[in-house]
Amino acid sequence: MRLNNRIAYAFLAPYLLIFATFWLWPIISSFLISFQNTRVNPWRFAPSMNWGRLVGDPAFYNALYNTLIILVIQVPVMIALATVMAVFLNSPLLKARPLYRFAFFAPVVVGEVAYAAVFRLMFSADFGIINKIIGTVGLSPVSWFDNGTAAMALVIMAVTWRWAGYNAIIILAGLQSIPGDVYEAATLDRVGKVQQFFHITLPLLKPIILFCIVLSVIGTMQLFAEPFLITNRGGPGGATETLGLLLYRQGFTSLNFGYASAIAYTIAALAVAISLLNLFFGREAK
Amino acid sequence: MAGLTLKNVIKRFGALQVIHGADLEIEDGEFVVFVGPSGCGKSTLLRMIAGLEDVSGGEIAIAGTVVNDVEPSERHIAMVFQSYALYPHMTVRKNLSFGLTMNGNPKADTERRVAHAADILQIGELMDRRPGQLSGGQRQRVAIGRAIVREPQVFLFDEPLSNLDAELRVQMRVEISKLHKQLGTTMIYVTHDQTEAMTLADKIVVLRSGRIEQVGAPLDLYDDPANQFVAGFVGSPKMNFLKARIDAVSADGATAVLASDPGVKITLPISGRPDVGSSVTLGIRPEHFVDAGAGDADLTVDVDVAEHLGHTSYVYAAVSGEPLIIERPESRHAGSQDRLTVGVPSRRCFLFDAEGQRLR
Repeated sequence: MRLNNRIAYAFLAPYLLIFATFWLWPIISSFLISFQNTRVNPWRFAPSMNWGRLVGDPAFYNALYNTLIILVIQVPVMIALATVMAVFLNSPLLKARPLYRFAFFAPVVVGEVAYAAVFRLMFSADFGIINKIIGTVGLSPVSWFDNGTAAMALVIMAVTWRWAGYNAIIILAGLQSIPGDVYEAATLDRVGKVQQFFHITLPLLKPIILFCIVLSVIGTMQLFAEPFLITNRGGPGGATETLGLLLYRQGFTSLNFGYASAIAYTIAALAVAISLLNLFFGREAK
Repeated sequence: MAGLTLKNVIKRFGALQVIHGADLEIEDGEFVVFVGPSGCGKSTLLRMIAGLEDVSGGEIAIAGTVVNDVEPSERHIAMVFQSYALYPHMTVRKNLSFGLTMNGNPKADTERRVAHAADILQIGELMDRRPGQLSGGQRQRVAIGRAIVREPQVFLFDEPLSNLDAELRVQMRVEISKLHKQLGTTMIYVTHDQTEAMTLADKIVVLRSGRIEQVGAPLDLYDDPANQFVAGFVGSPKMNFLKARIDAVSADGATAVLASDPGVKITLPISGRPDVGSSVTLGIRPEHFVDAGAGDADLTVDVDVAEHLGHTSYVYAAVSGEPLIIERPESRHAGSQDRLTVGVPSRRCFLFDAEGQRLR
């Protein structure tokens, strides 16, 4: 090995060591653990135990169903909303743009526990402001924490509130990278603003939007904080239990690390598969 | 096709005025070039004609109709941008047809126009490629093609060749000139390159700091500049300017003495009567020096650098700190440290007063 290379690896060594210890090894270790019976001491190699349970576990299917419902509803709504917000932020007519940009991005930097507490207060059945507003238009109050569908809607709203601004900032960066003279050329081509949005802006934003979708899919597959903190650990009765929450429950409540590892690998595999599907359907035609 | 009229056109960005009352008449079918240094307002003026910038004052009329408040899309103009501004996600065919399709133009007519433009610009084999798969020159052709399919009354070009390499620029320049002859449409072309201006234009508009300095045919600007700025801007290498003072005024004209060399006296046949003793600037183009003894006065300089290009040589010298360029086609051996004596023919000299205005 040349001297230069040795010096380079010497500089890289501290990082590589930490990476191998706290990233690479846990990945390999959890894969191995997923084939172990971890409910006995010492752990025993039992390849079909956790994976076999996963295939027939109603709790797993419930969590998978809930996660996919959130994914299918929340991700498209949030990305559409983020795109609209980005276009709004990019408008030359908008005054105090940095203020809005900060306001839209702020939910990401707010602590999860703090924002969950605020959401719980706002959606409280008896004294929450949301039910008060619903009451003023003559509708009956909603039991946000006791009704499974309402609880799911609440989780979707909370996640959307938290991440729409973040995605809007990414999409805004994409919008700002579209040269202004392309729109001027379209204007001279007698193409209206709405047509410009659908025929120029959206196609040119496609790679950015796909990136946001992939990030959101990965995030949703790991969704944990909102159902844990807002809807009482996936309540009511598991109606908002996600795969992330099931993993936590198996790993850190039941201390069944083998099954939790199998769930973790399933989450990762699903996230990769859905992201690849996104990229496949969103690829540029040759 | 249509002519254009600009009447006292003003542009302000907030408190900053960038166009100061431009007046201009452009005939139907004319090729007009706006030329000037960076920041002179030539692109702004073009964008105002296109409708991409509001008019702060005055009037712009296309084909006799004032268009100040007419939408860009309704002005019957097409513009070729410096950056080409092609739709990056569309094929060349789609780039050409997009505007027409969006406006509900009949499909057959759109196809006819696209085929016609592709034929004129010889881009037929590129139709299914995207802009990212084209070279700079090909992109420029597509951008021009997109303008052609609109069948506009006026073509606007905003420094269309500035992103191309030198060879391609010359090639495209010739093609644009051919295109103008072929289409016969009014064209307004913005450039900072005076060679482009001289070779393409029927009429050149020289701008400086938002003001039109002179309007005229290319050779008229070269032969008869209105002021020192135009004299310096038109011609390459630029005209030499030497400090001088008026030594005498007679029926034959005014005699100027070079400040750097009082032995050099040149009498210019001007009818104006500048004050004796007043400071003036003597202008002479590098290519207008003659052999020693063949002019009306001789000028001796110490050569700093000589560039021998084969067909001609440029000798760079300084006269009392003032830079001087002399073109000497036959002087292939001059080098630095040499002394060179050249003749100054008074009929090829220009005099400018202290404000830079031509003394005639």
